[in-house]
Amino acid sequence: MYLIRIAWRNLWRRKRRTFVTAGVLALAVFIFLLMDSLMGGMSDISYNNIIDIESAHLEVGLEEYYDSEGEVNRLQQTFQVDNSLINNIEEIAGYQSQVQVLDFQANINSGRDQYPLQVRAIEPNKYRQVFKTDEYITEGQFINPGDGGLVIGDRLSRLLEIGVGDYFTLLFRDTNGSFNTIDGEIQGIISTPHPDMNLGVVLYDINQARQWTGVEEDAATRIFVRTDDRDRALGVLPDLTERLEAGLTARSWEDSAEMMLAMESVGQIENYVILGLILLIGAVGIVNVIILSALERVEEIGMMKAMGLKENEIVRVFTFEAAGIGLIGSSLGCLIGGIVNFFFTRYGVAMETIITEDTTYGIPILGRLYGYWNPSAFLFIFIFGIIVAIIASIPPAYWAARKDPIKAIYHR
Amino acid sequence: MTLIRLIKASKIYQQGKIEVPALKEIDLEFEAGEFSTIFGPSGSGKTTMLNLIGALDKPTSGTVHFNGENIVESDKNQLAMLRRNHIGFIFQSYNLIPVLTAYENVEFALKIARGNEGKKTKEKVMNILARVGLDGLESRKPNELSGGQKQRVAIARALVKEPKLVLADEPTANLDSKTATGVLETMLEMNRDLETTFIFSTHDPRVMDYALRLIEIRDGRISKDERRD
Repeated sequence: MYLIRIAWRNLWRRKRRTFVTAGVLALAVFIFLLMDSLMGGMSDISYNNIIDIESAHLEVGLEEYYDSEGEVNRLQQTFQVDNSLINNIEEIAGYQSQVQVLDFQANINSGRDQYPLQVRAIEPNKYRQVFKTDEYITEGQFINPGDGGLVIGDRLSRLLEIGVGDYFTLLFRDTNGSFNTIDGEIQGIISTPHPDMNLGVVLYDINQARQWTGVEEDAATRIFVRTDDRDRALGVLPDLTERLEAGLTARSWEDSAEMMLAMESVGQIENYVILGLILLIGAVGIVNVIILSALERVEEIGMMKAMGLKENEIVRVFTFEAAGIGLIGSSLGCLIGGIVNFFFTRYGVAMETIITEDTTYGIPILGRLYGYWNPSAFLFIFIFGIIVAIIASIPPAYWAARKDPIKAIYHR
Repeated sequence: MTLIRLIKASKIYQQGKIEVPALKEIDLEFEAGEFSTIFGPSGSGKTTMLNLIGALDKPTSGTVHFNGENIVESDKNQLAMLRRNHIGFIFQSYNLIPVLTAYENVEFALKIARGNEGKKTKEKVMNILARVGLDGLESRKPNELSGGQKQRVAIARALVKEPKLVLADEPTANLDSKTATGVLETMLEMNRDLETTFIFSTHDPRVMDYALRLIEIRDGRISKDERRD
């Protein structure tokens, strides 16, 4: 206890030095928390966008649908949706809703321009229960059952210079591989926070699509499933897979977020590298502080040894001091990190400065990026900052404690 | 009862390739309760002898016995424990811990030697501070005390754990005559009351006047050893 008291008071002998060193640590802690928050926020929003707009929590389709690459006629990769399949899906833990989808490649023709995209033919009412796409209608209306209109993204709308009420033609290959077309009016424009959905995907009624494409009445390419929680969905995936008939397979939202997950891992590594570098600077600062304090207090060290303090007890005085610097630095860093994070989580940052519709880098986010509260990151970096400070102080502390007591006492 | 015994204790310092003998085969004994002074010119080996007696250093050859035990064979930690429990030091430059108050400096020495004894610790510290005339100055930090007051704190710190031996290296060198006399009186009083053994290293005649045993050292050898009543 006494050694702690001496260490604590020694910290305030050179306040400026203590605060400069603690400041470097605080900066490291703050940057780590900021990066963690932004990375966490980016991941969280990305996953939610993927789930709410692109792929739901779980999806079911033919194995060949997911295995095939390149130009494939998706209309030849349909399966029959029967009651037993629907019942099996409904029985998984946390189940909330499901929707059948028939998707296929097509070229949209506006009369002047043509653009390749994916048509997602949906059961409109059920789609609303699984996805939140309808919340992002900015013009016109979402699809109602039996409608022959098309809902397109705002980016496609700008690209082809078409809007609500304009006519379109979808050119596609039907189940037999023959070219066919669907004509109609644009009935809605969506502007989602998922950039891919605003350009490359259009929504259409599934029953209309079944008629035009020639697939069977209950055919679908995928069934999307919403559960009560995204983590739970990952847990029930094996159960869902087991319940499926041969040829069918299930995937989770993580499969659609592969790119984001990879980016998250790289981001985390980058975060830790930055953290390591800054903490290294902090550690050098602490080594410097301990050496300087030891040089200033040579006679004190000598006296402590004369009084009978063992080397490890003197080492403890210095490591307690370093722990104090670590405590101040970590606390300051966490405090500043907490305040800045509060604003990030509340007001976010405009993603337009980094991500535009043309340069999304595969990140499924548009609009504002919000921070993310991660208490474990705060706890981790708080403890880590103190530990780094203690570890950095041990070698110079031993150097100080091993001073010859006679030379130390008669230092002057 | 013999407290300290040096048998053929020599100390040679190595300065580059040159060997500098500081003490040459010293044979010397100190009885418990003595109030002795080692004196001699600068560089004669006084401080070296004090360091050997105080277990701060080991002789190059020969042995040093404390309370019958050969401390030359003890390791660093054993020597630290010996100093902690049985030896008090007073130095010319006081060597107080500047971040602690007068009270805390004294309390620190007591607590590391005897542990925390609660109220008893406080009583002992306050008593010793009163005895060295520092009543009312307990909460002052060293930089708020005069040279004489600092040396009194150092004396209190050395004595509070009631050690068997107190070693004082030039304790009056930085003090004016009046303060030096006061400090010496205090130590003599402690010697009488607590039967603590005091060994001084000095060339201050004021200290020698108080000593009951005078040991002169020249060129690393004892040239005179006389007792006074």
